[in-house]
Amino acid sequence: MFDLVKELTGAFGVAGNEENIREVIKNKIQNVLDEVYVDTLGNLIGVKRGNGKKIMVAAHMDEIGVMANFIDEKGYIRFSSIGWVSPFYALGQKVKFKNGTIGAVFYEEKLDEMKNLKLSKMYIDIGAASRAEAEKKVSIGDTAAFVGEAVQEGDMIISKALDDRSGCAVVIETIKNLPKTENEIYFVFTVQEELGLRGAKTAAYGIKPDIAIAVDVTLTGDKPESKPMEVKCGAGPAIKIKDRSVICHPEIKKLLEDCAKRLNIPYQFEILEEGGSDPGAIHLTAGGIPSGAISIPCRYVHSPVETANINDLKHAVMLLRESLV
Amino acid sequence: MECISVLKELSVHTAVSGYEKSMADYIKESFGKDCDSVEEDRFYNVIGIKKGNKSNKKIMITAHYDEIGFLVSGIDEKGFLRFTSVGGIDPKILLAQEVIVHGRSDLLGIIGAKPPHLLKPEEAKKAVKMGELRIDMGMTPEKVREQVSIGDLITFKAVPFELQGKKLSSKTLDNRCGVTSLIEILKELRPFKFDSDIYVVATTQEEVGLTGVEIASYNLQPDIAIVIDACHGDIPDAPKGEAYALGKGPAVAIGPNLHPKLTKKVIEIAKSENIPYQIDIERGDTGTEAWATQVSRSGIPTILLSIPVRYMHTTVETVHANDIENTAKLAARFIVKAETEMEELLCF
Ligand SMILES: [Zn+2]
Repeated sequence: MFDLVKELTGAFGVAGNEENIREVIKNKIQNVLDEVYVDTLGNLIGVKRGNGKKIMVAAHMDEIGVMANFIDEKGYIRFSSIGWVSPFYALGQKVKFKNGTIGAVFYEEKLDEMKNLKLSKMYIDIGAASRAEAEKKVSIGDTAAFVGEAVQEGDMIISKALDDRSGCAVVIETIKNLPKTENEIYFVFTVQEELGLRGAKTAAYGIKPDIAIAVDVTLTGDKPESKPMEVKCGAGPAIKIKDRSVICHPEIKKLLEDCAKRLNIPYQFEILEEGGSDPGAIHLTAGGIPSGAISIPCRYVHSPVETANINDLKHAVMLLRESLV
Repeated sequence: MECISVLKELSVHTAVSGYEKSMADYIKESFGKDCDSVEEDRFYNVIGIKKGNKSNKKIMITAHYDEIGFLVSGIDEKGFLRFTSVGGIDPKILLAQEVIVHGRSDLLGIIGAKPPHLLKPEEAKKAVKMGELRIDMGMTPEKVREQVSIGDLITFKAVPFELQGKKLSSKTLDNRCGVTSLIEILKELRPFKFDSDIYVVATTQEEVGLTGVEIASYNLQPDIAIVIDACHGDIPDAPKGEAYALGKGPAVAIGPNLHPKLTKKVIEIAKSENIPYQIDIERGDTGTEAWATQVSRSGIPTILLSIPVRYMHTTVETVHANDIENTAKLAARFIVKAETEMEELLCF
């Protein structure tokens, strides 16, 4: 599982630029499923045919990042964010453009107080001596992802883009261990989740499933002086009850809870006070699709050191698999 | 005052947004008497259908029946519950309220408040935050954990009571007063037979983003939508132009969210039939289901009638019986007219 997570988190896929990660995932699922295709927005969809219920499984393959928007005469690059990027998380980090160019992210030293740090006061230094030199490697409009190679310490994985490559890993493992079922299952690796759940919306409309289950990360309350939240790393996958974008359908919540009980695996319930997720778009689509989610508890979400427990991923695979039968 | 007793009954039922299933059957039964059939969709929208002779056109009337409420979000070491709201609630109104925690069984609880003696001067000036409030059920932490889990529903324990002058006060009058008017509309329509299909829809998840109506309008694809919801009643020091008098009839909304010709028609009908009404000027988003119906599929011509409710989103919401009856009367007359003149009304 760790090797898969490492490979997936290492692939480039800033929202709107998911080509690389899509290729990586496609290669892993294409011989296992009945059909694999890419839709108009770039969602990767793998289908297991059947005559039963139509189930959509969604994990977003895009990641947050930055976009170059100005290069000054000295070759420093100004940028804006793709998805929600905290200036504090970005400070002192490395970013990597799609062509492999790496840059340091730092800030204007004139800043009076650190709490006033904004992305607009920051820049990327790719070691170029002039605008002309910088432009050989980076054009405005190019996107870059944060650098943060996956490592494992005990049961914990630390990496960039666990949001939501950990979810992609759970779905890929499920595809490789498909349960026997008559259900027709659409495994969707969605694009542009970080820009407002956009891929999931068109995928759901195209598929019109009977129900949908997403796999994504959620926040936790288990850090020093955390905001109170019951979800903990290592206490099992979380069954989503609500976030800012959706109240999960009671039937899907019950389905997942019944599966977890049947498997006798640890599980928890998630109430997320901030942020949305793919079910938020899916449940409103095409006359209403009952939707829910399996969430992987993850600390420091949207930083290059996102941290999750590998056992929660393994249990999430078991839970997802059971829910598809 | 039959509509007061209908509303009283409706207001004590619970249907927190997303979890309306518990009330769907009750509404189905209320619609059943006057409909050819009643359906419930997968998001618990309850749809009463009066089949038309030709079924060539469809008119939809909606009022949401979901209500604001809470979910258990945490259980602390002493057995007090933390909670989060579903829909918009001002934490100020929560202090010292009685609630029902829908755990393994229904359990009574109270939202505690710090006594004035213990409040530090700076605390006394500050507004409370929901995250600081706790529910006390008087149970040991072990018992609480056995009976309650994260995500369990919490609702207000409110007892409806009648005020002077045909007014009722209770929880959830937003928008059970609208649902009451749906039931009244069905009664008003009894003597008529239509060519078009009439859909009377009690919708869900309005309080969390117009979800139910978005789903229902997509599925039903009506030619005209009539939305009935609550608007702010005339409470002391309400901003001018945003509150409406109790007892002076439904507020008819005018603005870009609404269809101009249909709106004009409904006002004409109110005038000619002597039904009291008020005018509600809306410069953009009405904050009601009309905002979603108008842009469903290729667009639905929509009108909005609002019933004045005082103290919205509290346990003492207050409404005047006449406003509900007049809303129903006006909507019903409008349906009768619109049904025969639809072609003409819908062309610009
Ligand atoms: Zn995510």
